[in-house]
Amino acid sequence: MSIANSGSGTVSNQGIKIVGFLCNWCSYGGADTAGVCRFKQPADLRIIRIPCTGRMDPLFAAKALIYGADGVLVSGCHPRDCHYAVGNLYARRRLEVLQHFLPFMGIEPRRFRYTWVSASEGQLWQQVVTEFSDQVQKLGPNPGVGNLLTEEGHR
Amino acid sequence: MTNTELKQSRDLLHQQVEAILPEVETVIGWTQGYDPIHTTPTFVRDAKAISRLTWNSFCSQNLTGYLVKTPAIQPQDRAKKIAVCVKGCDSRSLVALIQEKFVSRDSLYILGFPCQGVIDWRRVMQKLPVGNIRAARVEDGQLAVEHDGGFQRLELQDVLARKCLRCAHPNPLIHDIVIGAQVPPRVLIDKAYGDVEELEQRSLAERLDFWRSELDRCMRCYACRNACPLCVCQERCIAETREPKWLTQYMSISEKVFFHFIHALHLAGRCTECGECERVCPMGIPVALMKEGLNKIVRELFGYEAGVDLEAVPPLLTFTPDEAGI
Amino acid sequence: MRIGVFICHCGTNIAGTVDVEAVAREALRYPGVVYATTYMYTCSEPGQEEIQRAISDHKLQGVVVAACSPRMHEPTFRRTVGKAGLNPFLFEMANIREHVSWIGSDREANTRKAQELVHMAVAKLNFNQPLFSTKVPINKRVLVIGAGVAGIQAALDCAEGGLDVVLVERQPTIGGKMAKLDKTFPTVDCSSCILGPKMVDTAQKENITLYAASEVESVSGYVGNFTVQIRKKATYVDWKLCTGCGLCTEKCPAKNVPDAFNEKLGKTRAINIPFPQAIPKKATINREYCRHFIKGKCGVCKKICPVDAINYEMEDEIVTEEVGAIVAATGFDLFDHSVYGEYGGGRYPDVISGLQYERILSASGPFGGHIRRPSDDREPKNVVFIACVGSRDKSVDRPYCSGVCCMVIAKQAILTRDHLPESNSYVFYMDIRSPAKNYDEFVRRAQEEYGVQYIRGRVGKIYPRGDQMVVQGADTLLGVQVEIEADLVVLASGLEASEGAKQLAEKLRISYDQYGFYMESHPKLRPVETNTAGVYLAGVCQGPKDIPAAVGQGSAAASKVQALFARGTIETNPQVALVNERVCISCGKCIDVCPFTAIQWKELRGGIRKAEVLATVCQGCGLCNATCPPKAVQLQHATDDQILAEVNALL
Repeated sequence: MSIANSGSGTVSNQGIKIVGFLCNWCSYGGADTAGVCRFKQPADLRIIRIPCTGRMDPLFAAKALIYGADGVLVSGCHPRDCHYAVGNLYARRRLEVLQHFLPFMGIEPRRFRYTWVSASEGQLWQQVVTEFSDQVQKLGPNPGVGNLLTEEGHR
Repeated sequence: MTNTELKQSRDLLHQQVEAILPEVETVIGWTQGYDPIHTTPTFVRDAKAISRLTWNSFCSQNLTGYLVKTPAIQPQDRAKKIAVCVKGCDSRSLVALIQEKFVSRDSLYILGFPCQGVIDWRRVMQKLPVGNIRAARVEDGQLAVEHDGGFQRLELQDVLARKCLRCAHPNPLIHDIVIGAQVPPRVLIDKAYGDVEELEQRSLAERLDFWRSELDRCMRCYACRNACPLCVCQERCIAETREPKWLTQYMSISEKVFFHFIHALHLAGRCTECGECERVCPMGIPVALMKEGLNKIVRELFGYEAGVDLEAVPPLLTFTPDEAGI
Repeated sequence: MRIGVFICHCGTNIAGTVDVEAVAREALRYPGVVYATTYMYTCSEPGQEEIQRAISDHKLQGVVVAACSPRMHEPTFRRTVGKAGLNPFLFEMANIREHVSWIGSDREANTRKAQELVHMAVAKLNFNQPLFSTKVPINKRVLVIGAGVAGIQAALDCAEGGLDVVLVERQPTIGGKMAKLDKTFPTVDCSSCILGPKMVDTAQKENITLYAASEVESVSGYVGNFTVQIRKKATYVDWKLCTGCGLCTEKCPAKNVPDAFNEKLGKTRAINIPFPQAIPKKATINREYCRHFIKGKCGVCKKICPVDAINYEMEDEIVTEEVGAIVAATGFDLFDHSVYGEYGGGRYPDVISGLQYERILSASGPFGGHIRRPSDDREPKNVVFIACVGSRDKSVDRPYCSGVCCMVIAKQAILTRDHLPESNSYVFYMDIRSPAKNYDEFVRRAQEEYGVQYIRGRVGKIYPRGDQMVVQGADTLLGVQVEIEADLVVLASGLEASEGAKQLAEKLRISYDQYGFYMESHPKLRPVETNTAGVYLAGVCQGPKDIPAAVGQGSAAASKVQALFARGTIETNPQVALVNERVCISCGKCIDVCPFTAIQWKELRGGIRKAEVLATVCQGCGLCNATCPPKAVQLQHATDDQILAEVNALL
C-alpha cells in the first residue's frame, strides 16, 4: 500500500508543534505539490517560507528547540539544484554541525531534521512530513531547556 | 622551566624588544601582577619600560585579543608595527585573525614563547588557606608556594589550566622570533578531546542536566565573549541588540542557554581553543567545553583544525559540492 | 500597524475542512488586527474589491490573506493592495489550502493550524517595511544556445523582431538532429528541404551572429545584463577564408574516420564538411584522426587548399558577448541501446538505432539513400522495428515515453516499402502514440496501405543465425510466441538529455530533473520559462517532443524574450539584501560567500570600509544574512526579526 493511498493521516496530538523552514523554490513548491495531489499528512507542521536554505541560520532552529518547539524540519533544494546555485551547500554544512551539537548540549537530536525535497516531489514530501511527525509524536512534547512558566513566571 | 631558563628567556625578550623598538610602536606583553601568581597585560612604547616585560608560568592571558578590539593600540604611524607576545595557543588565535583578514601579517612582529602550561590561579586558591601569597615558582613538576600560613607544594596536574592538560600545540605556529626551547605536546590532537568524550559517554538527559546546572550560574556578563579574540562584534553582538531581537535580557535558563548557543555556533570551526572564555568566567562555568565539542564535530565532519593553516578557510564559510564527511 | 485579515473559503476547497469563521474570529485577537472577515473567492474581482474597500473603510496599513499558496496568488494580491494605495510589501499570505485543507480532514486540527498560520503571518507583517523597486536598463540582445530546429526558430523570430541574436552551436554545423533526418512525419517532407531555408536564413540574417563549433564557457550577471564567455573551438581551418569547396576532403589520406554525422555508419576523412547542406559550409579537422596531429606528417590539405585556410596552430578562442536574455535549446541525444544485452549489446552491426536507419534512408547518407545492411551491404528483405527501447522502462531508469518513436517507426516503415517494394516490415509495439493532426491516420496508412505488420508485444531476444538476426518476441493479441528472421533490426531508441546538459544548467543557474531535462517554471502554464529570470527553454531540452512542438516552443521563447525587452527597462525585485553600515564590522564574510558577487566594499572616511550590496545584482537568497555575525546585512522581506516573529508567534 503506497503512502499516497493510505488513510486519512495520523490524528494529531493536541498541541504538538513542528516548525518547518522551507525554501521557496523547491521544498515549498514540493509541499504545494503534495497539497495539490491531496497527499494526506499529519497537521502538526507549521511552515515558514524562506527564499533559500542558505538563508537558514542554525540559530533559528536552535531557538525554536530551546524555547519548546516539539520539532524543527528544514527542507531545501537538492544539492547542486539550488535556485541560487550554492545556498544549500552552505546550509548542509551548518545544519549538519547543528545536528551533532544539539545532543552534545542535551537536546534530543531526533527533534531536528533537514532534508532535500524538490518542487516535483510531492510524494516524498508527504513521506518526510509523516515520518517526522510520527517520530516527534513518539518523543512527546518538548520541555525545552527550562520550565519557563514555573521558574520565572514569564517567558 | 627552571629559574635559569626563565631568566634566559626574559633577557632574550628584553634584548629583542630593544632591538625592534624602532620599527614597532607598541609592544604587548605581560608584566608582574598584583601577587606572585598573577601577571597583567602591559603595553610598552619606550625603552625605559622594557624591563617590566616578563615571562613565566603565570602568563595566562591571550594578548591577541587587543589587536582588533582595542583601536587605541593601532599605530599612529602606519609604517610601524605592533609587537605581541604569544604562547602556542595564542599563536593559533593570530593565525585565525590573519585567515579572516582582521589583521595583516605584515603589520605584526610576533614574539613566540614555547609554553609548558600556565597556572589557573583559582585552582591554586582552592588548595590554599586564605591569606597572602609571598612567592611562587614551578619546579620539578610542582608549584612551590610560599604564603602567610607557610610553604606548600602542589602537583602541577592539579593547578594547571584545564586547557593546558589537553594541549597539542605548545609551540607558536607563527612567529618572528622564538624565545625558549621547543616543548613536546602534552597530547596529540586526536587525543585532545577527552573532556568532550567524557561528556559524550553520559546519557542525553544527564548532559542536559549538566548544562542546565552549569549555565544556570551564568550572569550574562559577556566576559567570555569579550575575552575571545575572535568575537569582534563587541557592542553589536546579536545577544544584546534590539534590532534584530534574538534575545531578551530576562534571567531565564532558556535565554542563558540560547546566548551560549549563539556564542558557540558563531565560533564553530573558528575557535582556536585558547581557553580565555573559561579563564575569565566569574562563575567558573566550563564555557570552553562547548566550543571543544563543536571543534570535535568539525574535525570529524570536515577534517579541519582551526588556527593552524594561514591559507585555510573556516569550514562553515565554504563548502564542497560532494561532502565526503556528511 | 492597523492590519486587516481576510480568510478565503475558496468555495469548499478551504471551508470544507477548515472553520474559516473561527479563524477570522481568532485573528481579531492578534497584535495589530483591527478587522477580520471571510470571503468566498478572495482572488476574484469582487473579492479583491472587498479588500480594497476594507483598506479604505478601516484605514488599514497592512493586509493578511489566508488562502491558497503564495506561489499562486501573492503577486495578484500585492497588485490589489498596491492599487488601494498600500505598498505591495505590506502584505502577507498564509497558506491554508495546499498546506492545511487539502492535506487532512480533521476539522479541529486544521482550524487550529490555520489560526496559528494566520498568527504567524500577522506577527511577520508587523515587522514588514515598505519596499520599492528600481528600474534598470536592458541590453536588447539575446543568446540562443543550440542551433537545432528549436534554437533556429527562436533565433529567427527574435531577429525578425529586430533584436540582435547570438547563436551558439557546439557542432561545426547548425541543424541539430533534424538535419540528420531523411523525411519528417506525417507529411513525409524532406527534412533538409524544409529545414534548409531556415538554416540559410539564420546564416544570412544580419542581426544573427553565429558561433558554430563553439560552446558556452561561463555566464555571469543577471536578467537584462548577462555577460557570456563563449569558447570558439579550434577547427584548424580559418573559416573566414574557407569557401567550402571540399578539395581538402577529397585528398585527405586519413580515410577510415568514423562518420559522426552519419551516426558512425560509413567512413569519412579526418578533414571534412559534415554534410552537403551544412551551414556554415566550412571544413573542420578532427584532431583525433588527423595524421598531422598524430604523426607530425602529412599536410596534404594545407598544400592543396586554394585559399590557404588550413592553420594547424589554431587555438581555442574565448569571446565575450553581453546579452539581456538567454534561450537554452540544447536538444537531445539518443539513448545508448547497448545496455540491452538481449538485443546484442551494440555488437551486432545489423541491429541499429532509429537515427542510424534515418541516415541509411537519407540520400546524403553512407549508402547514398539505398537501404543496405551495414554488415554485408546486401539489401534487406525483412526489416523489424522495435518500439520503446530505452523508453517506458524502469529497469534502465527511463520510465518516460519519448513521444516521437511511434511516429518515426511508421514513417520509416513506409519509406522502407517505398525504397524496397519487395521488402517486409514488422513493428513490435506496446501502444501506439499518435496524438496530433493526421498522426493516427498516418499510422493507419502504414498498416493498411503499406502492409506494415504491427505486432503487439515485446521482443525478448535478438540473436544471429547465419547471416540473419532472429527476433524472438510475443504477439499478445494472438497470444503466441513470434520468431522473425530479420535482415535488419531497427531499435527505436529513446530520447535523453543532451550530453553536457547538466553542466550547462549549472552555468545558467537553472534546474534539471533526474533525467537531465531542464525544469520549466510551471509544467502547464509556463513551459518555456525557468525559475531564473531571463533564461528561457525551447525544444527537447525541456522534455521529449516532436518537431512541431519544438518549433512552437522556439517561437514561444522568442515571444517571451520580446516581451521582456519591450519596455526597455526592468524593475528590480526589492527583496534584496541591505547593509546597516553602523552595525557592519567590516569582516567581509558576506562578500566572500555571496554566490553572485553582489556585495562589494564601500570606502568611507578615515580608511574605514563597509560592505555594500548591489541591489541590481543581488538575487535575494539571504546567504549573506545567515553568515553575517552581527547581522548587519538583512535580507529585506525575510529579515531576522520577521522570521523570529513567525517563530515566536508559534511558541
